[in-house]
Amino acid sequence: MPLSAVKAVAKGQNGVGAFILQCKRLDFHYCDWAGSSRGMNAFIQKRLPQFARENPQIEITVSPRPHKHPVVKGHYINGREKAVCVRNMTTEMILEKASLLRDASGEKLKRVNKPVTSVNESVRGIWSPYHGAQYKI
Amino acid sequence: THYRLGKNLPFSGILFRNSRSALMDQAIAVIPRTTPLMMAVLAFQFAGCEYQPPAGDQTCFGYLTTPRTQFRPQCPLRPLQHHLSPYQQPHSCRSQSTSAGDTFPPLDADESTELSQRDDDVSIPPEALPSPPPSAALKSAKLAALHARLSLPPRLPIQTLARALVHESADPDPNFNNTSLAILGSNLLGLYTSEYLLCNYPRLPISVLFAAQSAYVGTKALALMAKEWGIESVAEPGGEVDPGLLQYRRLAAGAAWGEFAPRGTGRPNEQKGWRRGITSKIVYDDQFGDMRMTTPEPSQPVPLDIAAESFVRALMGATYLHCGRATTKRFFASHWLSRTLDLSKMFEFRTPTVDLSKLCAREGFEPPVARLISETGRASRHPVFVVGVYSGRDKLGEGAGGSLDEARVRAAVMALKSWYLYKPLDVTLPSDAEGMEPTKWKPNLVDIGEVIV
Repeated sequence: MPLSAVKAVAKGQNGVGAFILQCKRLDFHYCDWAGSSRGMNAFIQKRLPQFARENPQIEITVSPRPHKHPVVKGHYINGREKAVCVRNMTTEMILEKASLLRDASGEKLKRVNKPVTSVNESVRGIWSPYHGAQYKI
Repeated sequence: THYRLGKNLPFSGILFRNSRSALMDQAIAVIPRTTPLMMAVLAFQFAGCEYQPPAGDQTCFGYLTTPRTQFRPQCPLRPLQHHLSPYQQPHSCRSQSTSAGDTFPPLDADESTELSQRDDDVSIPPEALPSPPPSAALKSAKLAALHARLSLPPRLPIQTLARALVHESADPDPNFNNTSLAILGSNLLGLYTSEYLLCNYPRLPISVLFAAQSAYVGTKALALMAKEWGIESVAEPGGEVDPGLLQYRRLAAGAAWGEFAPRGTGRPNEQKGWRRGITSKIVYDDQFGDMRMTTPEPSQPVPLDIAAESFVRALMGATYLHCGRATTKRFFASHWLSRTLDLSKMFEFRTPTVDLSKLCAREGFEPPVARLISETGRASRHPVFVVGVYSGRDKLGEGAGGSLDEARVRAAVMALKSWYLYKPLDVTLPSDAEGMEPTKWKPNLVDIGEVIV
């Protein structure tokens, strides 16, 4: 066999072609009694149906969490989850947090130093002394 | 407290806490059955609102509010066939996925009575079914979210999506699992991938073509796609679980898999044990050049990869059946062709310089000659030589290496790759030239094949 092949798997590039929203599920936890859930309860009653209608890709779960602060929890395709405590927040602030969780990729936060990240190799070849400005003694 | 004794420290990031005490054991033993937590009644849950969330705490508000009454049974002949069946098998009480649902409008008087009768027949408890009943698909938030997440066309009914998620290991009944859809999808995926590869890279050697095919639509690739689509799987399949989960019977950890004997190579004179050459692989083996294996029993446990692969294939088949060729091609282009695969990294040459000489002889080029283009640090610890391979006055390839030989071999490899990876500028795929709005057919380049050494 003069020529054989190396097995590989094609890598997905989310957003090139199809885009898959990385947030799978949002859990909204509230408490009926505690004052810190006042904004959350109003959010669930007034704003959540519209939020869910705008984001059909996300499974939304509402469940009580008695005697605890309200929490919004996002579950992501990479298996991680992010929880945000929304105690004493108003409806708008909770919507902001829910949107943040929706737009997150689920990855750990990391600093991005380079303006461009590419899967392609650099097109520059091997350095050669005969190219460019030559060193003069 | 004692949950701090283990590794699940509060700061460890593992939020799962498990504390069992004698008191708790006693409570479990004494309390006969627990009732679920009372849900708060939300404003949109009041009677008379358009959307009523299903029982439990799973809700998906937006997607399910679209009026479902517009769905019609995709297969109106099904009730008639059902009526004609001479005997009543237990599974025939289960309505087919493509024509199930409790909100269908009556087609006409006869069929509506048929439908209602059949709905009355459904008296089997869901726990007794091997997979969720198709009517449960309308109430699954996971399924609705998956439909929206993949931007599936609205013509693809959610019941079919649910059926595509049922692997035959969970439900051996071919009327309810995804096997038939997966066979269709597998053929479609093979067709679209191979025509894309063959038309765009007409000189690709067969072994690389097999590997590229497997890189796009092989088991590993499809299982990875299902994972990237956010498919979750059940712990144990059954009629009562959420139909939005991948239903399959999972292989126990450490259990043997893949020990099925090959079905027989299918070649003549098999007993002589002849070598499986590339040409016979094209004729007798599967689309990846691998031997066909015997299929396991339908209800045998399988690994996740196999079940996830069958889902992706079945979804492709379902898209084709419900939405037609154009949509299927768009679906394929957006989910498969958008993936990146570096074909130039899939070649492994054993004798590249010999290959190149043979290629030049076959094509009538002058014999290749390697010439040093530049070098640096010959006497140092890190010399770099840049060598070009020339055929007459044409440079075929260029490579850099730490020794003259390495650079020469690299240059030959580069020359071969640039030959094999030739890509015509203007390509018409055969499947584009058929259908309702065909593009004008322009014949593609057909190469005589790789060089034989």
